[in-house]
Amino acid sequence: MQLNSNVPSGPLEGKWDRYKFDLKKVNPANKRKFEVIVVGTGLAGGSAAATMADLGYHVKNFCIQDTPRRAHSIAAQGGINAAKNYPGDGDSVYNLFYDTIKGGDYRAREANVYRLAQNANAIIDHCVATGVPFAREYGGLHANRSFGGAQVSRTFYARGQTGQQLLLGVYGQLSRQIGLGGVEMYARRDILDIVIVDGCARGVICRNLVTGEIERHSAHAVVLATGGYDNVYFLSTSGMHSNVSACWAAYKKGAAFANPCYTQIHPTCITVHGDYQSKLTLMSESLRNDGRIWVPKKAGDNRSPEQIPENERDYYLERKYPSFGNLVPRDVASRNAKMACDEGRGVGNTGLAVYLDFTEAIQRDGEDVIRAKYGNLFQMYDKIQDEDPYKVPMKIYPAIHYVMGGTWVDYNLMTTRNGLFCLGGANFSDHGANRLGASALMQGLSDGYFVLPYTIGGYLATQSLTDVDTSHQAFKDSETQLNEKLNKLMNINGKRTVDDIHKELGHYMWEYCGMARNDAGLKEGIQKISALREEFWQNVNVTGSSKDFNQTLEKGYRLADYLEFGELLARDALTREESCGGHFREESQTEENEAKRDDENFCHVAAWEYAGEGKTPILNKEPLVFESVKLTQRSYK
Amino acid sequence: MNWLVRTFSCSVAKKQFMAVTGLAFCLFLTSHLIGNLFVYGGKDAFNAYVEHLHALGVLIHIAEAGLIVFALIHIGTALILYFQNLAARPVRYKKKSNAGGRTLASATMPYTGLFILVFIVVHLVSMKFADHSTLSTFDVTAGVFAKPAYLAFYIVSMVVVAFHVNHGFWSAFQSFGASHPKYMPIVRGFGILFSLIVGAGFGLIPIAFNMIS
Amino acid sequence: MEEKFINLTLKVWRQKLGEKKGKIETYQAKNISTDASFLEMLDIVNDDLTIKGIEPIAFDHDCREGICGMCGQVVNGYAHGEEKGTTLCQLHMRRFKDGDTVFVEPFRAKAFKVVKDLVVDRSAFDKIIQAGGYITAKAGGAPDANNLPVTYETCELAMNGAECIGCGACVAACPNASAMLFVGAKISHLALLPQGRPEAAKRALAMVRTMDSCGFGNCSNERECEASCPKNIEITNIARLNREFLSAGVCSTAM
Repeated sequence: MQLNSNVPSGPLEGKWDRYKFDLKKVNPANKRKFEVIVVGTGLAGGSAAATMADLGYHVKNFCIQDTPRRAHSIAAQGGINAAKNYPGDGDSVYNLFYDTIKGGDYRAREANVYRLAQNANAIIDHCVATGVPFAREYGGLHANRSFGGAQVSRTFYARGQTGQQLLLGVYGQLSRQIGLGGVEMYARRDILDIVIVDGCARGVICRNLVTGEIERHSAHAVVLATGGYDNVYFLSTSGMHSNVSACWAAYKKGAAFANPCYTQIHPTCITVHGDYQSKLTLMSESLRNDGRIWVPKKAGDNRSPEQIPENERDYYLERKYPSFGNLVPRDVASRNAKMACDEGRGVGNTGLAVYLDFTEAIQRDGEDVIRAKYGNLFQMYDKIQDEDPYKVPMKIYPAIHYVMGGTWVDYNLMTTRNGLFCLGGANFSDHGANRLGASALMQGLSDGYFVLPYTIGGYLATQSLTDVDTSHQAFKDSETQLNEKLNKLMNINGKRTVDDIHKELGHYMWEYCGMARNDAGLKEGIQKISALREEFWQNVNVTGSSKDFNQTLEKGYRLADYLEFGELLARDALTREESCGGHFREESQTEENEAKRDDENFCHVAAWEYAGEGKTPILNKEPLVFESVKLTQRSYK
Repeated sequence: MNWLVRTFSCSVAKKQFMAVTGLAFCLFLTSHLIGNLFVYGGKDAFNAYVEHLHALGVLIHIAEAGLIVFALIHIGTALILYFQNLAARPVRYKKKSNAGGRTLASATMPYTGLFILVFIVVHLVSMKFADHSTLSTFDVTAGVFAKPAYLAFYIVSMVVVAFHVNHGFWSAFQSFGASHPKYMPIVRGFGILFSLIVGAGFGLIPIAFNMIS
Repeated sequence: MEEKFINLTLKVWRQKLGEKKGKIETYQAKNISTDASFLEMLDIVNDDLTIKGIEPIAFDHDCREGICGMCGQVVNGYAHGEEKGTTLCQLHMRRFKDGDTVFVEPFRAKAFKVVKDLVVDRSAFDKIIQAGGYITAKAGGAPDANNLPVTYETCELAMNGAECIGCGACVAACPNASAMLFVGAKISHLALLPQGRPEAAKRALAMVRTMDSCGFGNCSNERECEASCPKNIEITNIARLNREFLSAGVCSTAM
């Protein structure tokens, strides 16, 4: 497989502008003749669909929920980065670029990250123009706050619901286009296959989640914006419907999957309780602006927090990383929490928690100020934990929150399959091995509002695509295969529920492929996942009918894909014998237990190619070339 | 003129019709109550007030016509709203609880309204359209109030009116969008006070009549 | 509060896909941790039903952290359950007592058809937004974000409306199945911001007309919506909608 990143040559600062000029364009009258399928209505998919329709393309947009307003982008809390330098603290596009690429532990493509930083300011302007009520200062101008991995305040926010407000902005734009007829909206659909004709992606096969009907849709190009695969861990902060299925179908149709082992463990999540638990809840990173993280100095100290005097507390992040303190990047904060708990200094019933303490901030600023900044987060914590965080420090622990890996794309956001594009959280491109807080929203909107609408024109203008409709043999074959798979699933009638098997998979993923990974564990993990997959196909119980609203079946086929994908994730982690960002190999660490990269052997993107049913996937490497930044060992000390 | 129909047939416009007519009735109640207070001046003062009112001639007919038109709008719109609202939930809940917004007054608006309509008819027939040829208005009224059944019906009706006004008054302001953090609490307070004044003010009138005659 | 385990009797509305009628079925929820959420309790019941060969109860949900607005059922007669300012996914079983009987019904309104069991079709909300719940702006043409100052208080008020998650609890709770709180929240959000003013009149008329055509009832200021809203959205937003509608209908040039 040929991996051509298509990054333009020339100085970093001018690459994107020159590239846009060089791209072939589709004239306005011709845009009407092109149909584009966009899968997903989150920040990336929704903004891409709305913008392309506004430009004149005919867009068919699909989403899994009952309405496009519910995509999981909505759950992002803290904020979105930009290099506006409104606070006057010396921020710049280059600074944002540098922080992002360093935060990603130098495992992202330089040109992509620079373009992201360049688009960031336009995103803020556009969001404000579409009615996003970002927080304001008393003078009427915008307020900013700080996030992990940066020493400037560059994060725009709307209370603790920034993702919601951005998504509702996108939903407004999308709704306008639906009303105008530029976008045909298909809600409650699962995309289960990508249809390839003459080597190009020309359509999708989807399942109508209400009626269970299998539907065919054709187009001139297909765009996947389906978010991350966090739910392979069962417990994550992702929405319950988040899945890898569309990207996995794309993988099987020739779109390489990149860096699946780059998963992000978020340091501040509400702790796990019983085994009935379905979902983890994040407490925004913005809390680390004012909250201080600590554990008792002494192992096994089970006094309640207010009884532990100041000098017996270990504010370990402030101690170890004086210049960034509590605002170190997520991977660093998570690993340190794990270390503290491994040393027996964890708190709470399970010993798997650390304190996030607001006492000092409340004393300093008053409860009202803290309430105004984080009120909804505190309320959410109180509801789940039944403890008042204004009085008792929060108990938090790391949890799976985001995945940096995803479908491989080039500078145009096109996958290794012609005509198949991938945006936002579903692709691998901008965050390297670790994503900084408030950068995912930025990437989704950059891809959808300001990148794809241009690059897809470049693709469509240079292709001579014949007319393809859904009666084409490729659609028939695809549908037949899918029906066979669904029938097989419906007829197992085994003894275990889908969730039961999913929980077991999640357990293996977390155990062998979680916050710290090693050679032996990964090998064992791969075996266990593989055995579980066998068991699934013999012993799962999917009730009801496939031609019905059947949520068990939905979960079933999503799990079937996760059982294959989980193995690829572990395999990627096994192959990458270095630590970088969120991927921590115990064999590769510094004396101070920090992640140690191996730039000589692993400064590349690992793009996995499907080799066929039951065959070991093929590893392709895209070397990462750094023209502008110098690779250094990340230090937040 | 299409816009006129389109705008005024909207749900919000219907609410605003209810509001404007309702507030007009509040004004009517106020003036009617002030007039009735003459009963406390005795029979002669009351009859003098009635004569003075009748002397307004055509003006009084215009006012009456206005009240009828407003009543038709208020009742007609209420009927449309009632049946539309009923149709908006064809399948009812097996179990429905009050989340804390509803009051007895707000929940019974259509029924108190219907009750008031019945009262108005009875009231008009027994007072306004009674035979005034031999008796003064005071005597006609006192005669009606002397009947215990009517007295009870009248007092109950005034309690019902108070309930209706209690929700209707602030509700009218809300429907016009006259909601302001500084003034809305005053409007709501005044609405409660006004409903008490209306209920007690009118409710005591028959007792005054009975005592004076 | 300490974790406890409780048993409940559920009276759940079951309705097959494509059928107009359904009925209440009784199920037992056994050994439920008080730390579990209401939806996790349903997960446990569903796993139990699956093992028994009974089709699990269909219900909508996604984020399970109170922001996506997908979940929503009427629990014991309260939209999203009795606890104030809470979505169903954030309602925890510690709010129930051992031995309680719990009625679980779908959101009911003519405009929200039942799809199956507890799942309803809320696409009417989408239609209302499509009619005008947006600001027209092309990607790329916007002025600098700080060009138009917005006072802190105005921004907070706009945000109060913008917080709406579109769950439909207001409709479910309203005695008239009216959507005024939903529409009021969106109209307020956009009308308060200077960016939203140019289209304010057109928006108010179009959204109200679409709302009416979807079959929602009329607002009678009963405030049940406000009392049931998981995001505590206030009826002052409805007042603002009424005001916007009045000035759009009478004063503006919008037809």
